[in-house]
Parts: sequence; C-alpha cells; structure tokens
Amino acid sequence: MEVYRAQLTRVISGPVKLTDQDPLQRSNRINQSAMEEPTAKGTVTSLSSMFSVDDVQKAAKRVQDALLEKQQELERVKEFISDNTNLINLVQKLPEELHHGIMVPFGKAAFFPGRLIHTNEFMVLLGEGYYAERTSKQTVEILKRRGKVLDSQVDSLKAMMKDLQAEASFFDTTASEAAEGLVEIREEYGEENLSERASESGLLKQDSSRLSEADNLKDEDEEYARIMSRLDELEKEELAWEIENGSAESKQNNVAKSDNAKYGDEDNELEEAELAAETENRSDENKQNNAAGSDNENNEDEQANTVSDQFSNQISLDHNLRHSECTGLTVQAALEDAKPRTKSLATNVNVEANSAEKALVLPKEDNVATAPLSIQEISAQASKPEFDRYKAFTESIIEHNYNLQTDQQEQIRNTSKPSGSQSSKPVSRFKMQRK
Amino acid sequence: MGSAAALRELQRELETKANDLSKLQKDIGKNHQVRKKYTIQLGENELVLKELGLLNEGANVYKLIGPVLVKQDLAEANANVRKRIEYISAELKRLDATLQDLEEKQNSKKEAIFKVQQRIQSLQAGKAKA
Repeated sequence: MEVYRAQLTRVISGPVKLTDQDPLQRSNRINQSAMEEPTAKGTVTSLSSMFSVDDVQKAAKRVQDALLEKQQELERVKEFISDNTNLINLVQKLPEELHHGIMVPFGKAAFFPGRLIHTNEFMVLLGEGYYAERTSKQTVEILKRRGKVLDSQVDSLKAMMKDLQAEASFFDTTASEAAEGLVEIREEYGEENLSERASESGLLKQDSSRLSEADNLKDEDEEYARIMSRLDELEKEELAWEIENGSAESKQNNVAKSDNAKYGDEDNELEEAELAAETENRSDENKQNNAAGSDNENNEDEQANTVSDQFSNQISLDHNLRHSECTGLTVQAALEDAKPRTKSLATNVNVEANSAEKALVLPKEDNVATAPLSIQEISAQASKPEFDRYKAFTESIIEHNYNLQTDQQEQIRNTSKPSGSQSSKPVSRFKMQRK
Repeated sequence: MGSAAALRELQRELETKANDLSKLQKDIGKNHQVRKKYTIQLGENELVLKELGLLNEGANVYKLIGPVLVKQDLAEANANVRKRIEYISAELKRLDATLQDLEEKQNSKKEAIFKVQQRIQSLQAGKAKA
C-alpha cells in the first residue's frame, strides 16, 4: 500500500501546482487543515511561517520605541509652550512698574539684592546669536509668534503619534494572530484542464475555507463560478470515457473465452462498488465538513480518493484502453482467486452485497446526468447502511493486489480506480448544488 | 574537500561584505544626524529672518560673538541671515545627494550579500546530498 501510494504520488507531483515549497509550510498545511492531500489548488500558509512571531514582536517593539520617543518630544515641546506663556506673562507684567526689587544671582550659590530698571527694554534673542532691542509689547508679539510655531509642532507630533499607534496596533494583532496559528489561504484563479482535480480541490477548498471564516464567502463564490463553468466539460469527458471504455470492453469480449454477460457483470459490479464506496466516502466527508471536525481516518479516505482521481487524469487514452482490455479478465481472476481464501471474506460479502445492491445503484447512475437532486436522496438511502462493507471492499482490493504483486493486479487498480473517480463527478456537482 | 574550501572562501567574502554594509549603514546614520542638525538650523534661521523682517528700520540689532554683543546694522544682519540660509540649503542638497548615493551602494551591497548567501546555501545543499 505504501509503495503504491508513493508511486502514485510521484506520478501526480508532476503537473500539480504546489506553490508552497517550504516543507515547514507544507507540514503546517497538513496540520492546520487536517488534509493529507498530495494535491491542492491553492496554498494554505500559516501566518507564523510568513512572519515569525519573534520578528513581528520585534517590529512591534520598534514601533513602540518610536512612539515613546515621539511622546517624549511632545512633552518637551509642551514644556516649551508653558515656559513661553509664563515668559509672556512676565514680560507683560514687568513694565507695569518703573523698577523691581529682585535678588540678583551671583555665582552659583550667592545672591544679592538688586533693582530691575529700564523695565520696558528687552534684548530678545532671535536665534543664531542675533539679538534685537525691543519693548515689552514687541517682545510679547515675538513670543506669541514663537508660541504659534510651537503649537504647529505639537499638532504634527500628534499626527505622527497617531500613525505610529495605528502601526503598533497592527503589529500587535499580527503578532497575536501569528502566535495563535492563523493561516492564510491563497488560491490561484484560472482555468485548468485537469477537471477531476478541480472538483476534488473544490472539496478541499470548501474544507479549508471553513477553517478560515474570513475567506469563506469569497471563496465559495469563486468556487461556485468555476465549477459551474466546468460542468459541461466534465460531462463531455465522462461521455468520452464511457465510449472509450465500452469499445474496449467489446474488444476484450471477443478475445475472452468465457461468456460476455459474465464479464460485463463483473465489470459493472466492480464499477458500481467503487461508485458506491466513493459516494459513501464523500457523503461521509460532507458530514464531517459540516461538523467542522477533522478526522484522520477520513483523511485517509480522502487521500485515497484524490490519489485515484489524480491517477485517472494521468492515464492517457491509450493507456486507458489497454487497461480496460485487461479488466474483465483480471477482475475475474482476482475474484476467483479470492474466493477460496478466508482472508478475502470481505470481498465475497461485498460482491454479493453489490449484486443485491445493484438494482438500487444502477438508477443512481442514470439519474446522475438528469436529476442531481435525486442523487442526494438515493445516495442517502443506499450508501449509509452499507458504509462499512463498501469501505472494506475498497480496502480489500488494494490489499489483495499488493499481496499478489502482479502486473495484472496493478492494472485492476488502475482501471477500477478511474471508474470510481468517474462516479465522483456527479457527487461533487450535487455537493455544489447544495451549497 | 574542494567544495569545503570554496565554502570557506564564500563565507569570508560574505563577512567582508557584511562589514562593508554595516560601515555604509553607519555612514547613512551619520548623514541622517547631520541632516537633522542642518534642518533645525535652517528652521531657526528662517525664524530669525522673519523676525528681522518684522523689525522697523531704526531697531538696534546685536550679534553675540563670543562673550560680547556686537551691534550690527539691520540690513547687514538681514543679508547675513539670508546668506546663511542659502548655505544651509546648499548643504542639505549635498547631503541628500550623498545619502542617495549611499543608499544605492547599500542596496547593491545587500544584493551581493544575498547572492553570496545563496551560493553558500546551494553549496551546503550539494554537500548534504553528497
């Protein structure tokens, strides 16, 4: 199983656009979104990997320091303003008297009494060592002009501080968000010819968009539009595949020695089993999505689905034809092989269950194209009770093949998987309709 | 072992480049300080010029030179202040040019450092593989 998966992953990893190369981000993505998907259309980057918590905190600290600096400057300027107003008051008061008795400072510690005369004559420092002789009134005017300059400085400082505060709060929120493990989800919008994966990644996206409530609405709209535009394409492809498959089968029937009906039966059974299993997985996953929980077992299923979907895209038409030629033969061989074994009890049970279930499953396939809503009902009825058995069936096939390790067995998987993934398309559409 | 020697060489190069960069950054910081000083002086001079313009013809203007106040003609003081403003403006322009130059140098140094770092990384990756 592991070998098989690794092989598939290698095949897949070619055309898949995994924009996040960083293994840390990748592992993060898996942890965050609980998605063990080898394929994804967008990237889920945790905020902490883009801005490390330390860096953000450092930036926040720097902004805080700048803010503190400005705060100090503002206080200094305010001090100047109060000094200035005091000086204005003093200068206005001085000429009221002809002279003032004052204590004149002498040296550092000594004072002696003195008298202030010429109370209406001021030597005003204009700056840069220039002094001007002014009267009290003129001095007050100069001082008032200076006060105005100081006021404008205060205004500009306050504006700067406001900016810095906004910046600081931004850094703070970023830091806390990074610490909380918030993720950023980025997805490219564009046409893609791998339609299977589109629907698959649609499911993915749905899942991840639930994770980040913020992107939810936008994502869903985008998602909806894209899937709608691809529906026709999907249908065409499905039709083409069926035709291809059909012709291959008929060819094979001519070659084979056993009767045609049996082959067709076996083939159909397999396909339908896959379909049912697929539906089951999906509906299950759907439930899980709604519950917004992340279950590992489910992810395993999901991964298997993706892998098969992906693989079906990879196979060229020639390949497909060759595989389907072998299908009937090998499937029968596998089943016959399996019957005497005790180990493959599950397989037998499933085969029987499938044939019993066939009546129920078949109309579903017919309804797929015409009435997607009815799928919902049928799949709800059909798949839920049979969940375990179908799951067992899927698994048993893989296990069985792995044990035998023959080329033919490999091919069963290759062909049966695509048939399963084929049936997954209507399901995704149904999901979309429910949205 | 050849790659190890190359790696050491690259690391030495990186070190010298980092030193150059820090020197450049220091220069830029100094430039900023000088600029700040000049801007403040410019503001003060403009204030003086404004005040001198507001004085009437007969006003006594003194200039503090050392410990003594020297009486100056108003027109002369005005001309002096104007000249000083011109000088400071020219100086600020010059500082701007040097600052721009320094920043360009800093950017190129940063790029060079980045390249060296990349080379070191690729070398290390190659070594890890081998």
